[in-house]
Amino acid sequence: MAVAELIKSIAQTTDLVETYVPGHRTCAGCGPALAYRLVAKAAGKNTIFIGPTGCMYVANTSYACGPWAVPWTHAQITNGGAVASGIAEAYRMMIKKGKVEDDYPNIIVMAGDGGCSDIGLQAMSAMFYRGHKVLCVMYDNESYANTGIQVSPSTPYGATTMFTPAGPEIPEAKKHHLKDPMAIFCSGGHPYIKYAATASIGYPIDLMNKVRKGLAQDGPAFIHLQCTCPKGWSFPSDQTIEIAKLAVETGMWNLYEVVDGDWANKIFNVVPKKLKPVDEYLQTQKRFCHLQPEHVAEIQNFVNNRAKALGMEVPLPPAK
Amino acid sequence: MAIKKRGTGLTAVADAWQLADIDVSASFPIRPYTAIMAELAKRIANGTMKCEMVHGEGEHAQFSIAHGASMAGARATTGSSGVGVTYAFETYSPIAGGRCPIQAIVGDRTLDPPGDFGSEHTDCLTLRDNGWIYGWAQDAQESLDNSLMYFRIGEDPEVMLPQIVAMDGYFVTHIAQDYEMPAQEQVDKYLPKFNPQFRLDTKNPVIMGPQIEPEMGPPLEWDRHVVMTKVKEKIVQATEEFAQVFGRTYAPFVEEYMTDDADMVFVLQGAHAVTCRSAIKYLREAGYKVGMCRIRWFRPFPDDALQEILTKFKVAGVIDTGTSYGAPCAGGVLSTEVKAAMSEILNKPIIQSFTSGLGGETITHDEFFAMAEMMQETLKAGKLIQSGTWVNFNDYHEGASQINAAKNEAAPSK
Repeated sequence: MAVAELIKSIAQTTDLVETYVPGHRTCAGCGPALAYRLVAKAAGKNTIFIGPTGCMYVANTSYACGPWAVPWTHAQITNGGAVASGIAEAYRMMIKKGKVEDDYPNIIVMAGDGGCSDIGLQAMSAMFYRGHKVLCVMYDNESYANTGIQVSPSTPYGATTMFTPAGPEIPEAKKHHLKDPMAIFCSGGHPYIKYAATASIGYPIDLMNKVRKGLAQDGPAFIHLQCTCPKGWSFPSDQTIEIAKLAVETGMWNLYEVVDGDWANKIFNVVPKKLKPVDEYLQTQKRFCHLQPEHVAEIQNFVNNRAKALGMEVPLPPAK
Repeated sequence: MAIKKRGTGLTAVADAWQLADIDVSASFPIRPYTAIMAELAKRIANGTMKCEMVHGEGEHAQFSIAHGASMAGARATTGSSGVGVTYAFETYSPIAGGRCPIQAIVGDRTLDPPGDFGSEHTDCLTLRDNGWIYGWAQDAQESLDNSLMYFRIGEDPEVMLPQIVAMDGYFVTHIAQDYEMPAQEQVDKYLPKFNPQFRLDTKNPVIMGPQIEPEMGPPLEWDRHVVMTKVKEKIVQATEEFAQVFGRTYAPFVEEYMTDDADMVFVLQGAHAVTCRSAIKYLREAGYKVGMCRIRWFRPFPDDALQEILTKFKVAGVIDTGTSYGAPCAGGVLSTEVKAAMSEILNKPIIQSFTSGLGGETITHDEFFAMAEMMQETLKAGKLIQSGTWVNFNDYHEGASQINAAKNEAAPSK
């Protein structure tokens, strides 16, 4: 396994080549666009991106062009994992046979929450199971955003989307708690995944180093990357970073790594002195503005239980 | 040196894939095509082939894996049968539209329900609007030869289209036959290395499959339409050169059998041609002036060749080995296509459709005789007596009533 060259400070990143370049039409304050930029920058020029259908396909590739200075291909929303597997094995075999003189490239699937953990789950699971040398980054903006914000398994309980409006019969809006892809993929069921992490665009150095660690593996790696979304979550576009940080400070998002497949001994990268109440986070986004105290308590309860289940040692706010 | 072998259509295509030095093949089990993947796995394990077999978690993944491998610049293959073919449906248009010349094998199988392993062409015919090029082989030798010709045509820089080597399940995929495996030198002479102009190459970055605005799509679709015309020229060229290199001659589009003085012909594709030829020998002895036209390419559809050939006859009986419920003229897909191809032609024969060989059943001599009898009646009447006939269900020849009654008795909705 190659050793990842880690980045120590923002100052150090200015020397890195940008391969996610201007020329797209993502929303002002777009979290996933920033994610793409940071992931691309950390990975460098010898990189191939696979982009299953999602907002980063629709908003980036309009008019038959795309803002990448490295090879990029679309995949269907269903098959990012399978297309990436094919690319990986093609490279391995062509290099082995001497058909190409390339170095094995960084192969990165940038799949949204739907393309990774919902309709694309089967292909991604199979890619991890087979052990291809591919990094999967699930850029998670907690909805199907390319189609105008519809519910996905990542949408938090209590959020409104086009398919989960609040009304007298369903006052909480979304009824289900979210699905956790880290637990699904990385808690031991896909033994070839030796490196997995959660990340946030609010913590760019942490994110870029996780990308580099993932790419240094001999096999598959997974990063679950929360991307705040002004349009989908209804907040002003200048608060993308603040809200990303607030998610970590309230426990709505947890930052940790699973190294050498050791799920039981996660490394928590950012642990607040104590978690702020989730209400502080919910107040920042109109998608939660209909919530009643009992719904807020339900979310607090979920967040507290998740922190405990993950083994994160942090003082928790009371859940009423 | 070419070697004489005994094997099935599937082992024959495995030979073709070995000779073509494929890099990646994506598998998932479904009968009957599966045996080719078992054969590849053996050859990879014992070192005969240098190829990565990726075990897809379904047919949708199989075709996606091959798609990805092709974009990276590899020669990639896959295959399926029956509902496996339809499970992958989303992937066909992106592969063809992305101009990735992967090769798939389809060993035909009846679509569910019922769970029937037998051959029907419906599975592969459902792909007809997706921009792949394909046709049916009648035996093991032709399967192997088609595979090599299809690589050559599909990977031509002026074509760049995916191909399906289609063959009847069991009749071709599983019956052991004698065939010749060509020499490596012959294949190297005939089939250039796959060298796409664009691939996912970090030294020459390209973007594949971006979104476009509505007005940007039709020119790309026009290009896919135009290239199908070009494919026809390439087929003629590739078939001729195949004969020169390998010494086996095929009609590029339509094989004719005993048509010189025929006034009636069977029109079909695939393995039933073998039985058809032997039935025709008996029919000739009994005084029927009947022949056979076997269609070798379904996409692009050989309308020029058919228009030239079929005008020689008075009656053409198209045999549909599949279903298209509610299709025009009560036929299946093949007869509808033949009728469409002939629609504007003067002096065309009377074209009738026979649905036969469903469920993987052999079309027996008796059934060919019955069809000949019904065509004879059409000929005498000088017009269609019945547009679409399901053989053994609504035959109209003399002596048909007993068979029809028995089959109708067995139908649940009588």
